[in-house]
Amino acid sequence: MTSTSQNAYSYNSISATGPQAVSDSVESTLRLIARLPVPEGLERRVISGLNAAPRAVRVLHWPAALHPSRSWMRGAAAAAIVFVVAGGGWGVYTRVQPSQPARVLVMPPRAGAGGGFSSAGAMRTPQTLNGPMVANPIAAQSNKDQAANSRPAQVKPLNKALARTGPMTHARAQAVAPNKASAQPAVSAAK
Amino acid sequence: METLNSAVDDLARSQAEEATLAALVSQYAGALYRVAYSVLRNPADAEDAVQEAFLRVLRHRDTLDEVRDQRVWLIRIVWNIVLDRKRRAKTRPETDDVAELARVLPCDGLSAEQLAAAAQHHAHVLTCVDKLPVKERQVLQLSAFEELNSVEISQVLGITESSVRSRLFRARNLMAELLNHPRSSK
Repeated sequence: MTSTSQNAYSYNSISATGPQAVSDSVESTLRLIARLPVPEGLERRVISGLNAAPRAVRVLHWPAALHPSRSWMRGAAAAAIVFVVAGGGWGVYTRVQPSQPARVLVMPPRAGAGGGFSSAGAMRTPQTLNGPMVANPIAAQSNKDQAANSRPAQVKPLNKALARTGPMTHARAQAVAPNKASAQPAVSAAK
Repeated sequence: METLNSAVDDLARSQAEEATLAALVSQYAGALYRVAYSVLRNPADAEDAVQEAFLRVLRHRDTLDEVRDQRVWLIRIVWNIVLDRKRRAKTRPETDDVAELARVLPCDGLSAEQLAAAAQHHAHVLTCVDKLPVKERQVLQLSAFEELNSVEISQVLGITESSVRSRLFRARNLMAELLNHPRSSK
């Protein structure tokens, strides 16, 4: 009933332009909102929502013998903590080696330190041999010609072998030497 | 034996807390709903805000004994929740809310023509209220609740009582200007 009368008042006060009338009109509208009926079952829904909400969970439940209120349990826990901390410190202390003094290498004095040019790190390398040398190539050739004249059928394969292997070396020339010795009497006999 | 005793104590404590909470809900849920509805202007949102407020109470039920004025404390909780929700839902157009609220307001004993005019007037007033600066609007909205005097409004908003009075004075003057000269105002 009150809201009806206020509403009628506010409706009638639309045309009234006095500040007090305007203020009353505004506040009557806001009071109408403030007096709106609460929906039915609001409390029941709120309470059911609160019951469905998760409660705080107790993770640890101490048994009576180990309850933290007991003094000997506190002492044991403190001793365990001290033991762990001290043991860890002792383990670190025994494993870490003390720092050793740095080793200093004494370099010998340089010979040419008095001045002049340096070798700039270059090393002298001895001249190496170019391989085995052919000894008496001309003599070996003449012996080969002589052998070819005396025994053409036997010398020919030797010449082929020599031609395949390239220039005659000193060792090979010595290997050919017995042929020269055996061929020489035949040449002289033919003469 | 001690375990059994502690379990019994926990059970009794939880039952007492539940009873206290149920008493708070039955006593203040309506007031909290109206405060939430005056700002949110939506029944479902207002109910959610009330629910969230009591969930916060449930979370801090250990400190419930330290609260001096539980009614103001609860209204302050729901007020903060409502303002937070209003800030988040700012993208939604408020014109629909105003029209819906003006239609819902009780207008018993009026003819159809008067009902339409009253709904139009309420919508106009609510639109002008929305144009007020935030500080003045909050004081004006809270002053409409008969449960709250100026001291309690100052406790809800966290300001002094003289600030509440000066803001309320400015709000009324601004509303008079807005309703008398709607086009001259911004």
